[in-house]
Parts: sequence; structure tokens; C-alpha cells
Amino acid sequence: MFFKLDSFSLMGIEAIKVSVEIHISNGMPSFTIVGLPDKSINEARDRVKASIINSGFKFPMKKIIINLSPADLRKEGSFYDLPIALAIIALSGQVSSDLFNYSSFIGELSLDGLINPVRGILSMTQAAVQMKKNYFFVPKGNEDEAGLIKDIAIIGCADLAECIKILKNKEEVSKFVYKSHGSGNVCSNKHRVDFSEVKGQSRAKRAMEIAASGMHNILMIGPPGSGKSMLAERAVTIMPDLNYDESIEVTKIYNLVKRRKYELIIERPFRNPHHTISESGLIGGGIYPKPGEISLAHKGILFLDEFPEFSSRLSESLRQPIENKSIVITRNNVSYKFPCSFMLILAMNPCFCGYYGDKSKRCRCSKKEVEKYWRRISGPILDRIDMQITLPRLKEEDFLENVFVENSCTIKERVSKAFTIQNKRYLNDIINHNSEAGVCYINNWINQNQDLKKVVADFSKKSRLTARGMSSLIKISRTIADLENSDEITQNHFIEAFQYKILNNI
Amino acid sequence: MSNSEINLKILKLFFNFKIKPSDFINIYKRNKDIELTADYFSNKENKNLKLFDKDKYHSAQICKNFNSIIKYLYKNNVSVFNISQKEYPELLKEIYFPPPLLFCKGSSAIKNKNLKIAIVGTRNCSDYGKEVAAYLSRQLSKIGFTIVSGMAVGIDKIAHEEAIKESGGSIGVLGTGIDIEYPYESKHLYKEIIGNGSLITEFLPGTPPLKNNFPSRNRIISGISIGVIVIEAGEKSGAIITAKSAIRENREVFAVPGNIFSDKSKGCHNLIKTGAKLTESVDDILEELANYIKNPSYAKSINFNEMANNGSFKLNYSGDNIFKHELGKKENAAVNNNEGLKNFPDEDYAKVYNCLGYKEKSLEEIMVISGLGIKKVLQIISFFQLNNIAKEKNFNNFVRGN
Repeated sequence: MFFKLDSFSLMGIEAIKVSVEIHISNGMPSFTIVGLPDKSINEARDRVKASIINSGFKFPMKKIIINLSPADLRKEGSFYDLPIALAIIALSGQVSSDLFNYSSFIGELSLDGLINPVRGILSMTQAAVQMKKNYFFVPKGNEDEAGLIKDIAIIGCADLAECIKILKNKEEVSKFVYKSHGSGNVCSNKHRVDFSEVKGQSRAKRAMEIAASGMHNILMIGPPGSGKSMLAERAVTIMPDLNYDESIEVTKIYNLVKRRKYELIIERPFRNPHHTISESGLIGGGIYPKPGEISLAHKGILFLDEFPEFSSRLSESLRQPIENKSIVITRNNVSYKFPCSFMLILAMNPCFCGYYGDKSKRCRCSKKEVEKYWRRISGPILDRIDMQITLPRLKEEDFLENVFVENSCTIKERVSKAFTIQNKRYLNDIINHNSEAGVCYINNWINQNQDLKKVVADFSKKSRLTARGMSSLIKISRTIADLENSDEITQNHFIEAFQYKILNNI
Repeated sequence: MSNSEINLKILKLFFNFKIKPSDFINIYKRNKDIELTADYFSNKENKNLKLFDKDKYHSAQICKNFNSIIKYLYKNNVSVFNISQKEYPELLKEIYFPPPLLFCKGSSAIKNKNLKIAIVGTRNCSDYGKEVAAYLSRQLSKIGFTIVSGMAVGIDKIAHEEAIKESGGSIGVLGTGIDIEYPYESKHLYKEIIGNGSLITEFLPGTPPLKNNFPSRNRIISGISIGVIVIEAGEKSGAIITAKSAIRENREVFAVPGNIFSDKSKGCHNLIKTGAKLTESVDDILEELANYIKNPSYAKSINFNEMANNGSFKLNYSGDNIFKHELGKKENAAVNNNEGLKNFPDEDYAKVYNCLGYKEKSLEEIMVISGLGIKKVLQIISFFQLNNIAKEKNFNNFVRGN
């Protein structure tokens, strides 16, 4: 006797189809699960048995074999409980329904038959859509989350008995399909910080606006108390909200990490890991790999404060993700791919004592010590940072002064416009932002504009910049031009970009 | 006995018998005969003589044996002069406690009879101090002065660097053994200076940079020079110690005034208050040194032709408006820049240019004064920086470039 149900397994942030196959035969009563299950799946036997009995069904005293196919793929998680239980009940003849063929199932069972929410439901729902299933049975607690995907009927079940009841009433199934509550489940703007709170630092603020517009990586150098962390925290508030696709992608990543009360993430994430973080915490890892901070910062900002304090192993491991915008973690035969297209903000003091280059407070470091401090940041990482700015310490009078400064909303509007322009430009490309633009784009920009070509040639002589430095300079000027809604990069845009390359001046 | 034999003997006295250099000098001053003095100590080695504390003064004996020192001196062309030799600087012989032995690398500057003048100042100098040091050192070296300084970072380093570019050359006085390159930052100078100057020290090879060595080094700096120019010194700095020992030994002291709010100029201002010559230009120095320059034995060294050819220097020590120096040229350069203003793309550039001065201004100040937005100001400042019209000083502070 054979029966088959469709369920899912998580591979990174993607879900793939897993068939739950069951065979019941006469013989010594036993219950085996095969197909590389982990401990949590093997324990499903006891949960399934108890919950079937406690829900008022019979557990067949026969030889039961469950296979999770494809059988060579390692599987983990408690979410096969529901499909296994349903398969047993169906094959033992206690329920029969055509719905089994059109549906997928996911859910963890309690001993009393309740269905508990699981993580990664968003990815699975997307996979269900791709498999052209009509119905997706999910735990009641995951209903809101799965409901974000519109192309499939979501059915939330509170317990096993309810699930069976729905399956039996094929005609009335549409009654149980989840209806979205409108925008109630979308989280509103919760920023408690605003750009206008930053006093002085006009150059840094301008730089932050440009960096946010083109997703340029930026390094802030300044003595303690100059407002580096403050600026970084507020950088998210000037970036446009995520669009629907991005939201789903970011939410999918977050759902893998913890079972949170479901909210669609529409703000760009801001991650601020401490420098004692482990490598797998930053990059992602574990036996069953989970996304790290870099993936959690996907489409948002990764802020590494006190960057020289990060161990060189950690900071060097960032190189490849910065370039590739994704990280691949390989375990046994399987590779997990997590996206990590983030904007990197680094902050550091200029030296050990922190006051190198300060106007009023004397730096206690010798030149050698300053050099030593700088050597903690490797060249390859600095190469990948488009913009570098210095922040002086705020003077007392500036602190009390109440000048009119722009708030986050005003800046956000400008940045959003720049985003739109970039989206249009890169419509047919895999990249999204100026910071990712390759050599062909840069050459194009220069060659289109003879004036610019002359200026670039002129200034590259004067400024001792490397080829890579020059191309990042042009990328920055492209973003500055976008902020002004200008089609062409003018000389002024290009000249301003020099202000964000201070490392050549120090 | 030849000089080298005597030197070897004295070296042995210091190294093996741990004779105090000050005792040696005391005896020498009485009999004025180096051979007798050396014999005196080798005969009565341990009687009535205090041995110097090896840890405190010359620590060389801890780390090296005598033979290896001799080997080092031969290998690296280090000459050793004792106080009675004619190569030993005349002026240094006159001070209260001259070093009995001098170790010397690259002996050209020591042997020639150029007038020597010391330039000293803080290690942690400002841009202003750097500019002054470079200017004075270069000008003095050009007209034939040898610049003496202490090989430290900051003012010392710049004085050396500029002096060796011109004819006068430079003498670096070390606070360590001749074989030790300290500090790390002026490492390259140790090689460069030998081309047009000398390194001298009283310390035995192998002596590490101990704290007490430096004040005693300072007495040599002032001792071999006819005057000491102090550029930027804090109230209690090594440069002030040098100036004080210069006063004690009857040398001229010149002090360069600075910003009255800067701690780095407090020492200089104190010196001026107590009678040091306020120094604005090379003329101030030459005026004070007129007696030396008129002295035919020194006058040879001063390159009057150089001064005359330059057009800006005249041979007249009466004191009034003698030399037109480089600062004058700088003013001209500024005027030229002003002419260049006409070429600025628009008047906003002129506005920002007028905000910039020799005192640093922050971006915010420039924005307020010029009334321009941050975008425009950044563009213009960038333009200025690239054309050397402005430069960034500290973080986000701008001054006029040269």
C-alpha cells in the first residue's frame, strides 16, 4: 500500500520540494523514517503517533515506512510532522480526498494534535507557487506570513482534526482559505531617530546621502564623540523603503533565523554586530547553515563600528561577499546560497588615542603608532570602499546651536528619486546601483562626454589615484549627478567626488 | 703616541675600567695633556676614583664586548676624536664639560670650519613650525652655515632634511650610540645625512636611547654651535634645555615667535621675554652674529657670493632692512593667485576664496560666511585643493595653500 504527499525542505533561503512517501505493510508493527532525516525528524515518530491518537484517529499497528524523497538530501526540522501524520491517516483509510493531489502540507505537531508554527514558511509558499499547487496547508500561526504570497490559496489549520475536516469537505474548502487583513500586517515606520539630530558635520551628511543613493560603501574616520555611530544609525532613515519583491526576499532571510511574530519587513535592515562576533555569526554557517549578519543586512546597511578591532580573519572574510553580493556555504554535498547585497559602513578612530588630526585635543600617538593602527585595515578591503570621509569632533558651541537642518524625510525623497533613476538605467542588467557598475558602464559614461573625459585625464594626473580609485570616483560622480537628476556627469559632479577620497590626502 | 693609540687607550679606560668621563675631563683640564691624563688613569685605575654606574650612563658594556666595538668602528668608518685633536670642534672644547671622546660618522661637516648653528624645537610641531624650520634651515645652509640638530622627529628632522639639500650641510647629534638608529621615523636621515654632513655622539657604541642621554646630548648641540635657534618649544621641553645650556656657555639664543594661544610656542615666548633674539628672518640671525661673520677665520665659510648673486641679500650688517627674504616672495605668490581669481568660473569661487585664510576654518564656518550650500562649497573646495589653492588641515579644516 503506497501513498504520497508533497512537502518542502529548506535549502538556504530557498525551499525545494520533498515528497513524503509512505508504505504500510503487514508484519511486526514498526515505524521507520528514511531519507537522511535528522534527530528532529526521527522524533516525529513519537509526536505523530501521539497526536494521531489524541485527535481521535487510529494509529495502524503495522509495519510503516516513511521515505523523504529525494533521499540523498539531508533534511532537518520538525515541519514534516503534519504530512507524515496525514499520510498515515489517509493510507490507513480513515480519510480520502482529491485535495491531497493539489496541495502541499507543512506543520509541526504537538502531542495533543495542535499544529505549531514553523520557520521559513515564506520560502516554502513561493516554492508551492512554483509547483503550481492550488492549496497550501500551513499552521494557523504562519497563516499571515504565507498569505503575503498572493498566487496560492493558503489554508491555516489550528490542529490535526481541523485539517482532516477541511480535507473531507472538498466543496467548502474555499471557506477556509486565508483572507488577508489588508495593511494591518505591514509594520509602519518605527524609526525613533532622524537625520536632523546630527549637528554640524555637513560634509559627512552630504557623503552619507550620496552613499545611500548609490549604495556606496563608506568609511568614516573621526575621534570619539564625532557622531560616527549616530550618522550610521540614521543612514537607514534616508533610504527608500523596500519594494514588494525586496521585502519578501529580506523577510525570507529573517524568517530563517527566528520564528518572529510575523511582519513583512519594508524598512531596510540595519545590522550593527559587535567586533567580537564569530565568523559564522558574521558570514553565516552552522551544521545546517543559517544566514549571518551580512545576509541579515541584505538590501540594507551593515555597520561595523570600531572596524580595526575586528580580527583580520573576520574583515578579510568580507571581501568576497562584498564583490559577489551573495555568499555560498557548502556542507557535505550541498551548497547553500544566501544573498548579501548590503551597503557597508565602517567607522574607526584615526589612531589609538583617537585624536589624530583633532584641532583642539592633542594626539598622544607617535607617527609609528598611527601607521600601525592604520595597517590593521588591509588594502584589499580599503579598495572596496568607495568613499572615505573624516569627521571632526564637534565644538561646544555647535552642540548648542540650533541651526535648521534637513530631516530624514526630505533627504529620503531625493534618495528615492536617485534610486528610481538607477533602476531605470539598470533595468536590463543584474545590478541595481551605481556602486556595482562595471568597467563597461564607466567607459561608456566617460566616452559619451568629451568634457568629462578631458577633466578626468587632467585630474588623474594631479591626484595620484589608482585606476580602481579613479573608477570609484566616477561611480560616485554618477550618483551625485543622479541626485541632481542630471543625465550627464559634469565637471562639478566629478570635482565634488574628490572630497570623499580623503585617504589620498592623509 | 699617535692619536689613534691614545683614543684606543681612552676607550679602554671608559669601557673596561669604567672611568667617569667627568673625572677624566677634570684631570685633563688641569694638565692639558691627553696622554698624561690617560696614563694617570691607567696607572691608578682603582684608587680614589668613583666608578660610574654602568646601568645609568654608558650601558654599552652590558651588551657588547670591547673587541666587537672596535670592529664595528673600523667596519663602518666611524672616526673617533679626543678632546686634544684639532678635528675636535673648537667651540665644544670651551664648554664646562666637553665629552672626552667624540664618535663621528661622515666627518666632512665636523672637520670643516663652517659656522655651526643649532636649530631645535618640539617633536610635535605644527605646520607653522615645519614651515619656519624648513625656511630657516634651508636659507642658512645656502649661505654656508652648518645646521646642528638632534635627529629627533618634528623640527629636528625637517631642519636636517632641508640643510643637507644645500651647501652648508648638517650635523646630527645623537643621544644613543653611533650604531643605533633612533627614532624609527628619521631612519632614512641616518643614511642621507652622511652625504652632506656628520653624525656625532659622545656615547659608546651600543648605548640605547636612555632618558638621561638626551639632556646631555643637548649640551653638545649648543656646545658646537655659535647660536641656538628655538622654533616652537613647550615650556618644559628639550629645546629649552638646549637654549639654557647655550646661555650658560655664552652662545647666542634666537627664538621664533608663534601663536600666543599655542602651547607649543610658550617656551619660545619665555625665551624672548628673558632676552633671546626675536627671529623673523635670516637677517635677524646674521645681525646678531655680525662679530663672528666679520672674523676672517669664519668669514671664509660664509658664501657671500651666494648671497650677492641671489640679489636679495646685501652685504651690510648695520641692522636696518638688510635682507629681503623668501617670505616676500610668498606674498608675491599670493598676489599672483589673486590675479588667477579672474579665471575662476564664477563669483562663488571668489567668495569661498575670500573665506580662506592662514588660520584654519571649518567647512561649517565657510558655509556660513560665504552663504553657500554644502554642495557648492564642497565643489569649490575640491577645485581649490586640486589646484593647490587651498589645503586641508586637521579634519575638515581648510587654509590657503601656498
